[in-house]
Amino acid sequence: MLSREENALLTETDAGTPMGTYFRRYWFPALLVSELPTPDCPPVRVRLLGEDLIAFRDSSGRVGLLDEFCAHRRASLFWGRNEDCGLRCIYHGWKYDAEGVCVDMPNEPPEYAFENKVRITAYPTREYGGLIWAYMGPGDHVPELPKLEWARVPETHRYISKRFQETNYLQAVEGGIDSSHSNFLHATIEAFRQTPAYVEKVKNSTNLRAKYHLLDKAPHFTVKKTDYGLLIAVRRNAESDSYYWRLTQFLLPAYSMIPYQKGLSIHGHCWIPRDDHTCWVWTISWNPEAPLSTEDWNSIHNETFVHAKVDPMTFRPIRNAANNYLIDREKQRTTSMSGIQSFASQDQAMQEGMGPSVDRTRERLGTSDTAIIAMRRLLLQEVRALQQGHEPVAAHHGDLYWVRSASTILKRDVGFEEGCRDLTEAEV
Amino acid sequence: MANPSYIVAVSDFSVETLRQVVELLEVSTEFEHFVYREAELDAIWSITGFVLQYGRGSAQNAGVERLHRVAHEAHDLVAEGRAQDAAKLLAAFCEGGETDAIS
Repeated sequence: MLSREENALLTETDAGTPMGTYFRRYWFPALLVSELPTPDCPPVRVRLLGEDLIAFRDSSGRVGLLDEFCAHRRASLFWGRNEDCGLRCIYHGWKYDAEGVCVDMPNEPPEYAFENKVRITAYPTREYGGLIWAYMGPGDHVPELPKLEWARVPETHRYISKRFQETNYLQAVEGGIDSSHSNFLHATIEAFRQTPAYVEKVKNSTNLRAKYHLLDKAPHFTVKKTDYGLLIAVRRNAESDSYYWRLTQFLLPAYSMIPYQKGLSIHGHCWIPRDDHTCWVWTISWNPEAPLSTEDWNSIHNETFVHAKVDPMTFRPIRNAANNYLIDREKQRTTSMSGIQSFASQDQAMQEGMGPSVDRTRERLGTSDTAIIAMRRLLLQEVRALQQGHEPVAAHHGDLYWVRSASTILKRDVGFEEGCRDLTEAEV
Repeated sequence: MANPSYIVAVSDFSVETLRQVVELLEVSTEFEHFVYREAELDAIWSITGFVLQYGRGSAQNAGVERLHRVAHEAHDLVAEGRAQDAAKLLAAFCEGGETDAIS
């Protein structure tokens, strides 16, 4: 349960709000590099933290991230011409460079022009790990880029998708770190019912998730506060003398990773507020050691796991609230708990169904919500600390992000911290 | 001594359950412990809330309502890192003679 004030503190991210100020202390993903593929390509609209922005790549390849509206009459620069190292408003011809400086004001006689005194808001950007990152905070607190493993692997080893979600970012984060929902929402009916046929099928599986995850529906949670955020350890029964451990990190301000089993690919998410009622969901799959496999690509193309197909212009998923996520009731009756294709769409259906910003004063939590409680408390502590003048440590220590999720089987008398120590360090 | 890293399986609001939570509140000192206590108090608050909403005997309701309020207050104290104060509050309820009426 959260008070109304705490709920607002966590979920409101416009400029000037405490959480908005906190997010603005970090670099975060703003666009796919492929959205601005070449110099002088068309500009792209992007809304972040309640601000309407325009991104463009100038003639030299530099990326500008500007206030969407021209300083003159507030026309949208989305219609602008990207030409000769600047974006020209087509209404009266004012032109801006990548730093937001007006470099041409052709509708004024030369003696009345004041182009060099005109600026619009411009935010620094970096290209890193297949993404264009933005920093929207004060110039004297520029943070480090996070040393995330997925951002450091070769392009062939990684796939990133972006989708538009009609909820506050926090609802999405909560879904991402809530391990217990996957036993239900993402399960097949035979797994949920643990039919003899299912138990027999997974008995000899080398995929630990397939083998153990769905057989223990009430896992035990442990959380550890760390410099990067939280380490969430979830324990399920495996054999009579062992436990199946799944370890995932919540990385400040809004990243997580799905527990990784050595030899398979890793998957993670990042959730960035678009405004208080919508967010950008970034989903990353990567293999630290090799290019993504045919199996990985099949999963991406067939939407059988964490990625969902989207409209390439709006990034709105093809399965969305307007078409009930294309739920197949017959499939739900006979095969899967949800009847909705792809884990991503299943998650999105649940999270959007709660409304754009859920009223957390009305929820009823239990002990399986420990990770969610911990994440909220941590974010509240961080925001309040910043309000008192303490800068977020993680924002200025990119190396803290050099961690990896894990899953493994340990003997019952071995703690996860001891048994998983070597598994939770990134390698790339 | 009680282990504050253990999470009480809260499935009711019996005096045994409440005393277990009190014992763990008394020894909780770290972020992780506070999170677990918050989860337990959330569960007590949730269960009492459902009982109040969907009704039991009216004689019990006054006690359940008070426990519902106490759980909320204790929860907020834990959120502020004041687990000892939360323990006292919940212990006072346990010792107040209302637990027999609500069990």
